[in-house]
Amino acid sequence: MSCPRTARPAPTDTQQQLRVPEGAVEEGPRKYPEAAFACRTHPGHSLECVRRGGWRAAPVGRAEGRPAPSAGLRPWPRPDAPESPGGSFQQLNRIIRPMLLLVWAPKAWHRLFPLKPRALLWFRGDKVLHVGYRRLSGQAPGEQSRQRQPQGPRFRTRLLITALFGAGLGGAWLAARAEKEQRQQQRRTEALRQAAVGQGDFNLLDHRGQARCKADFRGQWVLLYFGFTHCPDICPDELEKLVRVVEQLEAEPGLPPVQPVFITVDPERDTAAAMARYVQDFHPRLLGLTGSAEQVAQVTRSYRVYYSAGPKDEDQDYIVDHSIAIYLLSPDGLFTDYYGRAKSAQQIADSVRHHMAAFRSVLH
Amino acid sequence: MAAPSMKERQACWGARDEYWKCLDEKAEDASQCEQLRSAFESRCPQQWIKYFDKRRDYLKFKEKFEAGQFQPSKTTAQS
Repeated sequence: MSCPRTARPAPTDTQQQLRVPEGAVEEGPRKYPEAAFACRTHPGHSLECVRRGGWRAAPVGRAEGRPAPSAGLRPWPRPDAPESPGGSFQQLNRIIRPMLLLVWAPKAWHRLFPLKPRALLWFRGDKVLHVGYRRLSGQAPGEQSRQRQPQGPRFRTRLLITALFGAGLGGAWLAARAEKEQRQQQRRTEALRQAAVGQGDFNLLDHRGQARCKADFRGQWVLLYFGFTHCPDICPDELEKLVRVVEQLEAEPGLPPVQPVFITVDPERDTAAAMARYVQDFHPRLLGLTGSAEQVAQVTRSYRVYYSAGPKDEDQDYIVDHSIAIYLLSPDGLFTDYYGRAKSAQQIADSVRHHMAAFRSVLH
Repeated sequence: MAAPSMKERQACWGARDEYWKCLDEKAEDASQCEQLRSAFESRCPQQWIKYFDKRRDYLKFKEKFEAGQFQPSKTTAQS
């Protein structure tokens, strides 16, 4: 049983025919015998051939009146479903095809980089064996110039240009990011400068009776501890630890001196004389600070110290419950770090050394 | 009343440590350590004695807790 043979449709006038004008030599492509070509000569003996119904006019939305591609020429595998203009498949095709062609088809670069008409590359007498380039801008869509040689920029060139473009974009992004970070850093420095002057200020008397404020300590590293002289065991232990840290740092040459400061949270009982008696047991440079109840309340608020006097017994003695921390202040007067009961003297000394090395002043 | 000086503090702490050592040996039996208890009470201010007693209780509780003697009851696990 033989299969019915489908006869090839003979070219009729309704389909596109090869119309070669007089005087022109058609050296058209032999590959597409059924393609529709129209050729004409230009002054200078270049031949221009245009293939009708090219790949561009294939399945993506055809305008009315445009010639349909001939039956034998289907540059893209087309689904048999009827076309719907504006369908999602067509939309996707419209986006994806140009991108794919940009990388894989050298000829597609000409859509981006239209080339001027070039002189003949090959000329032999009155016969033209090549076709010159044709400017694509201004051309009706759907027409494509038929070119033979050269094939377009090589793969390496395209890759190089794309890579350079990508590198340019990357460089611009990095520059923008660096500028943003710098602006953030400036804002932070400005905020720190304001805080260094205004925040954590105090007006207290030292154990010699002299008035002291925070600005007196500018330029020095300060280790600050809040306690009271009637403390059973915690304050002496912590002050011992603080003194050991100061001694360790004093022993190292090249490090700036650290000022230990002890501020009382019991201003009622801890007068300047009481403080003087207390601090002498620990370190000659340990400075005791006291003041009125309001002044102590102000400084404890600045440093977020909790304190609360307990109930008095028959001796009028009481214990003040308070938070336990050693505070580190930088030479700008800014709060830098704090150390609880769990930190040993060695750990605190290491941390202070680390901060000293990393310190950059915001005040000048 | 002036605060204790360093020497007084250290005397108080010494008495406290001896009293606590006695309690450790005699398994918290305060009646056998009365002499050390009176020495301790004479050396330290009253507020400190109350404070150290509470501290002792806390340290004993902490030991038991870390040894795992306090387990959550079954009802709390299911609730």
